[in-house]
Amino acid sequence: MNAPLTIGSVAYSPNVVPIWEGMRDYFAETSTPIDFLLFSNYASLVDALIAGTVDLAWNTNLAWVRTVAQTDGACRALASRDTDLVFQTVFVARTGSGFTGLASLRGRRLVLGSRDSAQAAILPLHFLREAGLNETDVALTRINSDVGKHGDTGRSELDALRAVLDDRADAAAIGINTWQAIGRGELLPGAFESFWASPEYSHCTFTAMPALSIDRSDEWTANLLAMDWENPQHRPILEMEGLRAWVPPKLDGYAGLVEAVREQKIPDRW
Amino acid sequence: MVAAIPPVSAGLLLDLVDSVRRVPTGRSVSIDFGTCDRDAALELISAWCLSSGNEIVKTEGSAVTVLHGRSPDPLAGLDPDQLPGSRVWVYTNFDCNLACDYCCVRSSPKAERRAIGADRLRQIATEAAAAEVTELILTGGEPFLLNDLDELVKTCTDKLPTTLLTNGMLFRGSRLERLRRMDRSRLTLQISLDSATPDIHDSHRGAGSWVKAVAGIRTAHDEGFRVKVAATLPADQMHELEPFHGFLDTLGIVRHDQVIRALAHRGVAETGIELTVDSLIPEVTITADGVYWHPVAADHDDQFVTRDIFPLADAIAEITRQFMEHRRSANAIAEWFPCA
Ligand code: SF4
Repeated sequence: MNAPLTIGSVAYSPNVVPIWEGMRDYFAETSTPIDFLLFSNYASLVDALIAGTVDLAWNTNLAWVRTVAQTDGACRALASRDTDLVFQTVFVARTGSGFTGLASLRGRRLVLGSRDSAQAAILPLHFLREAGLNETDVALTRINSDVGKHGDTGRSELDALRAVLDDRADAAAIGINTWQAIGRGELLPGAFESFWASPEYSHCTFTAMPALSIDRSDEWTANLLAMDWENPQHRPILEMEGLRAWVPPKLDGYAGLVEAVREQKIPDRW
Repeated sequence: MVAAIPPVSAGLLLDLVDSVRRVPTGRSVSIDFGTCDRDAALELISAWCLSSGNEIVKTEGSAVTVLHGRSPDPLAGLDPDQLPGSRVWVYTNFDCNLACDYCCVRSSPKAERRAIGADRLRQIATEAAAAEVTELILTGGEPFLLNDLDELVKTCTDKLPTTLLTNGMLFRGSRLERLRRMDRSRLTLQISLDSATPDIHDSHRGAGSWVKAVAGIRTAHDEGFRVKVAATLPADQMHELEPFHGFLDTLGIVRHDQVIRALAHRGVAETGIELTVDSLIPEVTITADGVYWHPVAADHDDQFVTRDIFPLADAIAEITRQFMEHRRSANAIAEWFPCA
């Protein structure tokens, strides 16, 4: 039997242990068993992937882009969640604030999440730039409450929303997952409304280095994609990890982030 | 334009999302909505739980306990015949020709009859069949003390398979005639016998009772009824069962109809296992006084559920609801004391 593949993941939620133990149990029944290693931040995870300490890394979009940069494109993306291919950033304000689009943020106060969060900091600035606004046109506040985890915990986005409620900011940029978590403005219609949503882009992806043979990674990916929402053993793991199906990655969904990282001169080891 | 003031602070919503995310699926957190409008706060938390796949498990004052994820079905893992309402027990009466020293409902010749009566039993049988109950179990007291027992049994067997519990000592004369009129294809008799020899049985149930009970088992068997034999034993005698099984084999009782029950600390029993509502899978039990959790406590207030026997489906639903609540809080206790 093959030695288990070691998967690295950041401990971004208290569910990571049950998720990865569930994944390990699932893969134990396949031709590609796995074990896992947990990291406290994505910089260390990417280092471990490049150093060969782990065979695969469960990377955020920023971690993927940084791995590509640090390996001159030698790494491979293997698979993502269905929800990773349609990720969006949503700009949110108090209901009735009168924002009509990104341009109406000129001269107003925008709160961003953690500086290493693609959805709540890096891409929002990129979208503003595309809308003709630079960093001096908008009064920016950053809430760096979960730096290192690339915004995965969602905590900085909730703090950004609190800043809007407390009138410390007029609007917040958050990920679609946080917007969904608070009920998309429908649970408390008088509280928040979204006034702009970005085009869809790609989020997390499993990343491999060339040291892992294509045959082996293909076999592992096929086993991953075989996880089935309708299977009562698989579903709890998929539910906890926030997907209905594992799918092949969508690489052109990272183009905006690659550009944003270049524009904002984001360092390699975030 | 002035933004509408939400009836409840939107900060509560953010706290809710934040707190629940910080615990793993399967664990719960307590959220305090403070001075927010109670109804609005509860409405918001319920709506959020519904849309996000989480669950409110408890509300106490301004504190709401929310489970991350959905609780497992508290009835999962039970055999279908353990689900509340799969069987319904009915106490036909409480008086008895015996006065056993462990009787869980304090029956004796002096006990008040408290008969369920023909009309109520007919309605129970009809509603039980409609509520997808699969079996009726009639017990007492001693049912054969009732002069209309054959008719009572018929109202049950006409609707559902039925088991009739008896001490088997009264199969003579008109009572034997009543037995003979019962529907053998739908009725099982369950007769009490505690030992392979008279000593133990008679020490609890009265001198001479063993001989009569064994004769009753033979009579019922010879009359063509399926006969189950049930023994009530203290825990310390549970290991010496083989001679007893061997004896019942000679009476023609098949092994799966040889039922051994542990003595319960109920009624006039001075010892026995403690059976409380939160430790006991319910068996819907009806007496003339109302609905009880379990037949072993049909004379005890702590297991009284409701005075309203009808609609029977509601009584079953109420027991099911309480049972689910007990199982959920048992899970929650296990969660609160993870090291214990
Ligand atoms: S245990 Fe049965 S036979 Fe004995 S007194 Fe109670 S009801 Fe009568």
